[in-house]
Amino acid sequence: MAENVRVVGDTLPGADLNAPLLEVDDLRVEFRVRGKRIPAVRGASFTLERGRTLAVVGESGSGKSVTSQAIMGILDTPPGYVTGGEVRLHGVDLLKQGEETRRTVRGNHIAIVFQDALSALNPLWSVGFQIGELYRVHRGTSRADARKRAIELLDLVGIPDAKNRVGHYPHQFSGGMRQRVMIAMALALDPEVLIADEPTTALDVTVQAQIMRLLKQIQDDRHMGLILITHDLGVVADVADEVAVMYAGEVVERASIHDAFKRPAHPYTKALLRAIPRVDTVGRELEVIPGLPPNPASLPSGCPFHPRCWAADPEKCSTEAPPYEEVAEDHRALCHFAKEVYRDER
Amino acid sequence: MTELTAPTAQSEVPQASLWKDAFRTMARRPDVIFATLIMLFVFTMAAFPGLFTDKDPTRCLGRDARLRPDTWFTGEHPLGTDGFGCDFAATIVHGTRPTITLALTVIILSVLIGMTLGILAGYFGRWVDAIISRALDVFIVIPLMMGAILLLSLFRGRGSSGNLLETVGPAALALTLFGWMEFCRYARAATIETKNLDYVTAARCLGARDRRIMFKHVLPNAIVPITAIVPTSLGSVIVAEAALAVLGIGVQPPATSWGVLLSNGTQWAGGGYIYLFGIPLVLLILTVFAFATFGDALRDALDPKLR
Amino acid sequence: MGRYVIRRLLQALLTLFITLFLLHYLTALSVQIRGNPALLFFGGERTPDPAMLAQVERLYGLDNNCYERPGDPCLVPFVERLQNYAAGDFGTTLQGNRDVGELLSIYIPNTLRLFIFSTITLVVLAMLLGTWAARHRGGLIDHTVRGTTILIDSIPVFLILLAYVYIMAVPLTNWARDIWGTESFMGQLFRPNYNPDYPWTTIIIPGIIVGTVGLATLTRLVRASQLENIGSDFVRTARAKGLKKSRITVVHVVRNSMIPIVTGVGYTFAFALSGAVLTEGVMGIPGMGRMIFQAVQRQETNLVIVGLTVTAVVVVLVTLVVDLLYAVLDPRIRYD
Repeated sequence: MAENVRVVGDTLPGADLNAPLLEVDDLRVEFRVRGKRIPAVRGASFTLERGRTLAVVGESGSGKSVTSQAIMGILDTPPGYVTGGEVRLHGVDLLKQGEETRRTVRGNHIAIVFQDALSALNPLWSVGFQIGELYRVHRGTSRADARKRAIELLDLVGIPDAKNRVGHYPHQFSGGMRQRVMIAMALALDPEVLIADEPTTALDVTVQAQIMRLLKQIQDDRHMGLILITHDLGVVADVADEVAVMYAGEVVERASIHDAFKRPAHPYTKALLRAIPRVDTVGRELEVIPGLPPNPASLPSGCPFHPRCWAADPEKCSTEAPPYEEVAEDHRALCHFAKEVYRDER
Repeated sequence: MTELTAPTAQSEVPQASLWKDAFRTMARRPDVIFATLIMLFVFTMAAFPGLFTDKDPTRCLGRDARLRPDTWFTGEHPLGTDGFGCDFAATIVHGTRPTITLALTVIILSVLIGMTLGILAGYFGRWVDAIISRALDVFIVIPLMMGAILLLSLFRGRGSSGNLLETVGPAALALTLFGWMEFCRYARAATIETKNLDYVTAARCLGARDRRIMFKHVLPNAIVPITAIVPTSLGSVIVAEAALAVLGIGVQPPATSWGVLLSNGTQWAGGGYIYLFGIPLVLLILTVFAFATFGDALRDALDPKLR
Repeated sequence: MGRYVIRRLLQALLTLFITLFLLHYLTALSVQIRGNPALLFFGGERTPDPAMLAQVERLYGLDNNCYERPGDPCLVPFVERLQNYAAGDFGTTLQGNRDVGELLSIYIPNTLRLFIFSTITLVVLAMLLGTWAARHRGGLIDHTVRGTTILIDSIPVFLILLAYVYIMAVPLTNWARDIWGTESFMGQLFRPNYNPDYPWTTIIIPGIIVGTVGLATLTRLVRASQLENIGSDFVRTARAKGLKKSRITVVHVVRNSMIPIVTGVGYTFAFALSGAVLTEGVMGIPGMGRMIFQAVQRQETNLVIVGLTVTAVVVVLVTLVVDLLYAVLDPRIRYD
């Protein structure tokens, strides 16, 4: 794939290849609905290096999908607005770029795979057209060449009989195959960052595993940075390198996957882990996090997790916003009692 | 964005709140309030004509013919008199009842027919559906007005004695026969959708009878889209009646309806008696507009995703 | 695709056949209940000579016994009628004894011209207004567009026409003639009635007026389908692919929005046909609408039936075209 070796500066002026691949720094997003401002992301930060996989984990409403859309620059505005922070790709803050640059970055540098491929693909165009569209728009490739590339890609993501299938329409594929088409489309321009937004949630368990394996394999081959957004810690255990746990629009814990599983420092992470069925917990009852995720329009005071937290101090946690505690190297948690939770190895 | 929108649940409880929500959204809109006032005014006029005029529309004096309403809503004839010397205000007020009765009759009959057929077709499928769908196709091919024209010209009566049934009966029948299809289509679609919902399947597995399922589960869901199109349809029936009257085959004289008044009014409009045409015209347009606005808002309120 | 087309074609034929039978049956019923329309030939009141009546009955195909038995579907005359239609024989008028087929060949082109203008008006207006309203969703423009279209749709089309003919046509014509002269395009455009010397020009204004039938419905449809597509997941995907806004609109929004709009146009077509009856009557356009209008007033039952038959054929054809367009636009239907 010789033509994939390209100069990043061509499409992203001012890029510094020594800077981290993708840094999200204190990103803030809010929704403005009928004059009300509802915070959806309240200062999310994380870093992604080449060839690494970052899992962003959280319940629905935690702001993980909104974060990914803000990184891509495809938030629906209105009602969504990015109100602060930086998203740096090779050291260049994307949020300060004009629409034309951002448009070039999408697909070329960062690509995304959505959860529901059936609705994310246009039902009226063949999959070949929709994949080839990327080459034709970004590279000016001819229709015939774009089709050839589309066949190669479909073949790459493991769609049998790609030559034939390239002219088929989304509704003619099964769920798993459709998600492969989605992945092929995201890979078309060989992006450096691939965001997979709940890529397997809509699929059967057996197909889930295939898709995860495919993503992992492609990432290894191409040395991409992969952001895996999911609500299911179990799915990411063997794929991810790092984890960012999100709750109520904040990253409440950042750690390597090993540390996060072994010694979580945030009560929420710990609770999530206890909710995963595992071989060594057979026979024991799974724990459930009490209560519901908070309504972003009216977050609890202090630490937003305190009403559901088993370790909360009624006084402190309901009044003071928790600090970012570093419990170990590259392991931080947003909690008043992070060190205590970390030490408590049960 | 998906994570911020509430899930749309399909169960019995949200049904009630759907109507409540719709009502609340509508009550906030000034155009809806305005439309409701007009509708109330018209309905009151149809139900209690005595509240608006104390004159008898059939008591006409030749020497009083074509008095212009120069006195502006006061005096002996607030809206003047018509070509035969009848009080025009009384004529209009008493012409409201046949108009509204006709519209309501047509809509109620159409909804009953359309909904019954639609639910049967959607619920039982197969040959029941095949027959009803074919009937739908056939009747849709003949537009409402054309069908009414056909029926009324084929079976034209000799004028009526003045009782309400005979005056509006033929027109109501003709309009109903070619007006039930839209309700049927909506009911059929809603039924097919509901039939396959999990809780309906569950009810069937628990041994609920077809009739019970249709009344308890299918009907409440089919009523929603149908209600949403009722006000607008009421408006179009009033318009259709007016058009039939202009063609001379609608409500039969000596009974009056707005359409008959309009039809008579055209003869006078050019000769300086424009009020004989203008007043029923404005009344008709306002009423139809009110129904249409109300219907539009209702549709939005019942289908919030398009608001 | 092939099977879909064939199925639709057969369905359309079946619908047409049933419709024709329904029309025929209603006529038969009317004859059975109300008595012989052939009497009209003699002016209605007088009782004609039985021999002459029999002759006239034969002339109009009413000589079958079934017309004396209420409820009899009169299948034999139905078959005869179909055969006559197939042979291009649509009978003659009771008054004036003119060949209906000949009348149709004059009337149909006029109505077609009217429909060209009305359909263009409707589609263009609805697309523009609907798109405009969708872009300004919830704002003042959205509400104004909606209110205005509903108001226009609330005014019966024949009343707009009457208002135009009685109030606006004469001053506009005089004004245009003073500037451009009587024989110019503008001089003819605003005429209150149809002029056979200018078959295109004098049909534009009535066409535009008929084009307002169903405006609110179609505008609403355009707005809704655009909103649905703009907010759809595949448009988000298109943005994530780094496509330009213009390309997203053309490739991913417009084509998807066309499907409900095509259906809507087909559906409003039937209503526009009703509008044509009074429009042509008021404006004196010798078309299908005026034919039906006059046939009703002169109690020419055969003419009403033929008019409705033509209407039915047209509506069935339009529905068929819509269904086929649907398949062209939507692969989910094509490959079902």
